[in-house]
Amino acid sequence: MAEVAITGIGLVTPLGCAPGEALDRIQRGEKALRPSPLSPPLACPLFAPVMDFDAARYLGDHKTLRLMNRDAQLATVAARLAMQDAGLRAEEASPIAQATCRGDFEIGDACPRGPLYPPEEMALYGSTGLSGIATEEITRLVRESAAPDGSLDLRRFGETALRRIRPVLSFKILANMPLCFVSIFENLRGPNGVYAPWEGNGAQAVAAGVRAVSEGEVPCAVVGGCDVKTHDLALVALEQLGVLDSWRREVSGTVPGEGAAFLVLEERDQAVQRGARVYATVRRQAWGSAASESDLPLVLRGVRSRLGAPPDALVLAAGDGEPAMRNVECAAMAADGVLVDELEHPSHNAPTLLRPKMHLGNLFAGAAAVQIALAAVLAARQASGTPVVANCHGHGTEQAAFLLEAA
Amino acid sequence: MKRIAVTGIGVVSPVGIGREAFWAGLTAGRSGIGPITLFDASSFPVRIGGEVKGFDAAAIEARFPEARGCRDRKILLALGAAEEAIADARLTPAELRHALLCVGMGLESICLEDLTRYAQAANLGRAMAERAAGGHNDRWMQTPLDRTAQILGSRYGLLGGRITNCSACAAGTQVIGEAWQAIRRGQADMALVGAADSMLNPLGLGGFSLLRVLSAENDCPARACRPFDATRQGTVLGEGAAFLVLEPLARAIARGAKVYAEVLGYGSSLDAFAVSDPEPTGRGAVESMRRALRSAALPPSAVDCVSAHGTGTPKNDIVETAAVKEALGSRAYEIPVHSVKSMTGHMIAASGAVEAAAAALTLATGTVPPTINLDQRDPLCDLDYAACRARPFSGTTILSNSFGFGGQNATIILRKASDD
Repeated sequence: MAEVAITGIGLVTPLGCAPGEALDRIQRGEKALRPSPLSPPLACPLFAPVMDFDAARYLGDHKTLRLMNRDAQLATVAARLAMQDAGLRAEEASPIAQATCRGDFEIGDACPRGPLYPPEEMALYGSTGLSGIATEEITRLVRESAAPDGSLDLRRFGETALRRIRPVLSFKILANMPLCFVSIFENLRGPNGVYAPWEGNGAQAVAAGVRAVSEGEVPCAVVGGCDVKTHDLALVALEQLGVLDSWRREVSGTVPGEGAAFLVLEERDQAVQRGARVYATVRRQAWGSAASESDLPLVLRGVRSRLGAPPDALVLAAGDGEPAMRNVECAAMAADGVLVDELEHPSHNAPTLLRPKMHLGNLFAGAAAVQIALAAVLAARQASGTPVVANCHGHGTEQAAFLLEAA
Repeated sequence: MKRIAVTGIGVVSPVGIGREAFWAGLTAGRSGIGPITLFDASSFPVRIGGEVKGFDAAAIEARFPEARGCRDRKILLALGAAEEAIADARLTPAELRHALLCVGMGLESICLEDLTRYAQAANLGRAMAERAAGGHNDRWMQTPLDRTAQILGSRYGLLGGRITNCSACAAGTQVIGEAWQAIRRGQADMALVGAADSMLNPLGLGGFSLLRVLSAENDCPARACRPFDATRQGTVLGEGAAFLVLEPLARAIARGAKVYAEVLGYGSSLDAFAVSDPEPTGRGAVESMRRALRSAALPPSAVDCVSAHGTGTPKNDIVETAAVKEALGSRAYEIPVHSVKSMTGHMIAASGAVEAAAAALTLATGTVPPTINLDQRDPLCDLDYAACRARPFSGTTILSNSFGFGGQNATIILRKASDD
């Protein structure tokens, strides 16, 4: 099994796009949480949007941008930043990549030297959340389809609404589209998969890439996730699914956010040979599946135990302000010898523990990639061999944690 | 490396509900495509589809109370197929408990009926939020794609991990490949794996009809899907689900399970070309097939049959034909290349799983299902497509392709079960 190195990081978060900047701002205690436009009536008072995001700044003002939902634009920008950070590009640039070199960042600018991988040898695994269809698009559709009594009139839908909506609507709903746009823009043609819709499913995408590289299926994988939980319909959907329930009972809870994160993974030896910067190596990952909420304490303890991280490892906790999850995560770590004092102050970033979601909001399908990306940046600032844990727990059944080691 | 067997199959399809009815329909060359009856499509430009006829949703809800009130039809289709696969494999609850669950899903269900009620509100989002905050959350506006995995996982107490793959038309094949890889590397003891989809709703059918990839031959639905035919005008949307039970061959033999076939290889690739059209040279499709062959350690000459993606769109069929010839060389001209979609329509995410079930049954029964409606050969589609009639099959190895919107490609290889 080959060692897997993280050699590129691309982030688009409510606290900035530069990985170091985002980590610095989290460590300084900055928060990107803003008043939610739907509170009241929704009990959750906050959300965490990415402000002033302009995909054209990074990708050029290409007509393809008009086919892309916001989640696809976030993902494509994050993936491009990760590729540039790694100094990589596919051996041959795709026509669209060539046409979009006008952005702030030139393709391959950072490190055009060194062995470039054939497109077929670059894997792409990612995760997406609930459908990214935005309120303004769906509003127009249903307004055209409404009968006078407010019900859905399928005759109007077929005769009027369908003729007025843009043909690309389907591409904005299909869950795999963000990853497909990443492949098109970066000319990635290797093994792939798209997973949905929660934090643990995002971790599955990262794990798939780690496996593909460590088992020698490909020398390089681009992995990540994206989500947009800041538009009106997403906030309502989260309310309906009970994700925001704790805000009714307590003064804290999940804060919906948006953004994307992508990582470039390479065989460590090959990365070193080409002179790449290695943020960290992926030492281990551990998994658990919680069939129900009551299973969660046992599952998280199992994950922690299988990960085998030393008690003094730096930790990026997964807790997002939802008290029940925070308590379960604290208990799992405390049982493993992590200093409980530091865990009992959820708004406080202790020296060895960070809580990114308290600052960025919860990016759901994109959250695991953000956690691991920030863990890698943190590792890169430590002495060689320092262990850093990225917890990727959350909603849904799948719970994961990754152990990184400073290069 | 472990050898991985298919020991249970469940299918819910437009040509029959249940494995046996499905196979009888396919081998009889029966079209499952007809006028849309699930909703009033009379004003839509496309009014035909491959509906699962006679599907008893109420019976599924009675057996899976967790799914009651669920308005996402593909979930119910999935539960029906999974239930049959588990029963077919004759697994005890204890044996099943550590299975990995891999589910392929397509378009997320969005409830237009609920949204439309708020259409006249000055602020639709706020109007919906007020209702949601009032506790009216019995009807979800969006059903998360992992809902099927949640229901199946809870019902059968599955603890081996749950994956929801949403790689569009490639999802059904990718989940089988991923489960195969997981068992082979020892990450899972066994797997319940499958996919489901139904695009036969206003948003799904309406949205796809705008893309001009659908046949609008509303007056002759049974002939509307004509893969590889010179007169083909597009694909037809279908719906369905299929689940397979995968487990190590040695274990299957030890417990006396029926072995339909072995999964031998898997590959995936990306076109990196366009969201709607296949890469014109077939480069991505070729790469997917070659990766599958490499993982199976097989030469192209070992392939005895191709279960084609075969959608019936003008572009796909030409590109896939060229890609099969590029990947398999001269062998491509010697073997049947058939399209299940000619009978079922395009079941999007479910297609790969249903076609894998068909491939396993082809190997188990020695019959290749036909490509129906193929009367006028397209000169650019010059392979043997098993036109119109099922035929006997004595081969041992089938390669099954799925090529998705957005350029995701996946291929699996199945082999006839044997003791050697």
